[in-house]
Amino acid sequence: MPKLWFVVKREYLTRVATKGFIISTVAIPLFIIGLIVFQVMMAARQPLHTLRISIADETGQLGEITASLLAKQKLPDGRPAFLVSHVYEHPPSPESLRPKLTTMTRRQQLDGYLWIPSGVASGQKPELVVANPGAFPMLDPFTSALREAMIATRLKSQGVRVENLSTLLRASGVRLIHLTGKGESEDRGQAFVIAIAMATVLYGSLLMYGLTTMRSVLEEKTTRMMEILVSSVRPFELLAGKILGVAAVGLTQFLIWAISGGLLAAYGFRMVRGANPAGSGFHIDLPPAVLAYAVIYFIIGYFLFAAMYAAVGSVVSSEQDAQQLQMPITLLLVGSYILFGIVMRDPNSSVSVTLSMIPFFAPILMVIRIALEAPPLWQIGLSLLLLVLATLGVIYASARVYRVGILMYGKKPSLVEIFRWLRYS
Amino acid sequence: MEDKADAVMAADVSKHFDSVTAVHKLSLRIQQGALFGLLGPNGAGKTTTLRMIMRVLAPDHGDLRIFGQALTESVQNLIGYLPEERGLYPRMKVLDVLVFLASLKGVPEAEARERGRAWLDRLEIGGWAARKVNDLSKGMQQKVQFIAAVLHRPRLLILDEPFAGLDPVNAAVIKEIMLEMHDQGITVILSSHRMEQVEMMCESICLINAGEKVLDGELRAIKQEYGKNTVRLEYSGDGAFLEMPEVIEKLNRHGAAVEAKLRPGADAQKILKAAVDRGVSIRRFELMEPPLNDIFIEKVSKRHA
Repeated sequence: MPKLWFVVKREYLTRVATKGFIISTVAIPLFIIGLIVFQVMMAARQPLHTLRISIADETGQLGEITASLLAKQKLPDGRPAFLVSHVYEHPPSPESLRPKLTTMTRRQQLDGYLWIPSGVASGQKPELVVANPGAFPMLDPFTSALREAMIATRLKSQGVRVENLSTLLRASGVRLIHLTGKGESEDRGQAFVIAIAMATVLYGSLLMYGLTTMRSVLEEKTTRMMEILVSSVRPFELLAGKILGVAAVGLTQFLIWAISGGLLAAYGFRMVRGANPAGSGFHIDLPPAVLAYAVIYFIIGYFLFAAMYAAVGSVVSSEQDAQQLQMPITLLLVGSYILFGIVMRDPNSSVSVTLSMIPFFAPILMVIRIALEAPPLWQIGLSLLLLVLATLGVIYASARVYRVGILMYGKKPSLVEIFRWLRYS
Repeated sequence: MEDKADAVMAADVSKHFDSVTAVHKLSLRIQQGALFGLLGPNGAGKTTTLRMIMRVLAPDHGDLRIFGQALTESVQNLIGYLPEERGLYPRMKVLDVLVFLASLKGVPEAEARERGRAWLDRLEIGGWAARKVNDLSKGMQQKVQFIAAVLHRPRLLILDEPFAGLDPVNAAVIKEIMLEMHDQGITVILSSHRMEQVEMMCESICLINAGEKVLDGELRAIKQEYGKNTVRLEYSGDGAFLEMPEVIEKLNRHGAAVEAKLRPGADAQKILKAAVDRGVSIRRFELMEPPLNDIFIEKVSKRHA
């Protein structure tokens, strides 16, 4: 049996059979799921309630109409969304009314009040004063109610009588249709959620497993285990065994998460359906092609970054030196995570396309582009080709640095020295 | 494999690191079954030489053969190595580390497990087989490391400063096993900067300094070449009688004992006479060959002169 196999096996077994692995595999997702469940439960316990508001109208024309329009708004369960407790038209002294309403809001006798200034017709902005903005997720109902009220009064002042203004003005909300490779699907922010989730998972795992590889190499150096190992195994086999072993640990972790996550999702979906049969329910539908690309980019990206992190681990002799030297590599990952905003905004812009071709950014940025829309196949192919070439080059260079680095102790070598190692026979 | 081939044959082997020459044109023959001492001060190039023998480093120039063969993986499996800097995976179980290292040398796992247990029992740490390396004392870890070097039954055993950091009891145990391996016909290379240790055990040696061979050959022959030019003295009383520059070229005081190197052709009896004349009582007076340390210093200083 090749020696490489024993190196991979040891790396895998000693990592999987640790408390750290069990904790990070079981506890992290449990914690996240717990948080979600907690939020869902709290949200279910505290259903949306009717908001008590007052309206102060300095114009004396808009208040009642606005109130009646707001009263028509319904919560999903059919209860009214707003209860307008009082409409103050032409308040005799606005200076004393305002503090009074504020105090009532503070004391939670009101959830808030709408202040319509006298100059609203000439562009002065109405104000919604609230204690808890979270309870007012949307300003839309207020904006549209006021707009309708203003149109109605203006029409009236010009002698036009309109019986059913809201029917006349009813506009449809715009639905966002997402063009995918397969066709059209209504997008409720799904593609964004998937892209953000994937970028985060890719970023987190590339960083986590990359650093694990670095620490593992460093540990063999600091414990001087390396001295015996190199007398039995070629440095390249050691390096490859290490990277493959950690990769196997990572895939095991993903597999556990995928299986348990799938089970949980199926169960959770049924729960949601049972609790709320009417609601369409927000469900994420991850296209298999996107997932497949994510896995491919993750694996190649992992080899790219793990090889660099391993080289860092081999070069230094202490954790502090490692922290310094790994910064540039970590910055590449952090960089792709920061740049993903640009790609999200316009996945097809020339900047996004260029960024997704750069091998160090491709594992995250190209996957985002794939999740958001289907980029032309040649672009995926080119970015994969560049990524594979860069990875092979980096592995070659890392192996040469590693070979020298593992036997060097003491002062952290300069980058110039490290480059010189590349030429050693 | 040729039976009579040298265990190690190096011809004009050199190794450079950038501008530093670690080993320069080193030629060396170590016969099969020899107990060989590789000697030199720290930084002389001993470890680099050993690493080339173990195929960890490739020589820049020269030819290096182990048992008559070029270095390959199967040759690597014939070598056992105890590095100067000791260390094992701290969080692995003792027996698991041994099995892992043996499997890297091509020993099937079940067999490695069995042999590992036997060795641990023999070195009286059998009860620690399932404990983590971290839980062991330093001395116990050294024993485990020694087992790792011999578990796969190497034909060439390389020990780099094997007694460093060992207490006298453990040092005796290791020495005993080392001599036992030697009796079994295993070639043993002992690398050390402690000349007096090697002097007592090794039959042939190679002395290197600053990457170059200073001298090599059978220890007895080397010493005979220098002749019995040193007097070892133990006495009580005033040491002033030793101030006789016409006879004594150099004095080494070791507390209770003194080693006096004689001038060529000088008569050692004159020292004895001077002591008796001054009423100093002599407990020991021995005419002997110079210690290896002195030979080394002489050789090195001559070169630089």
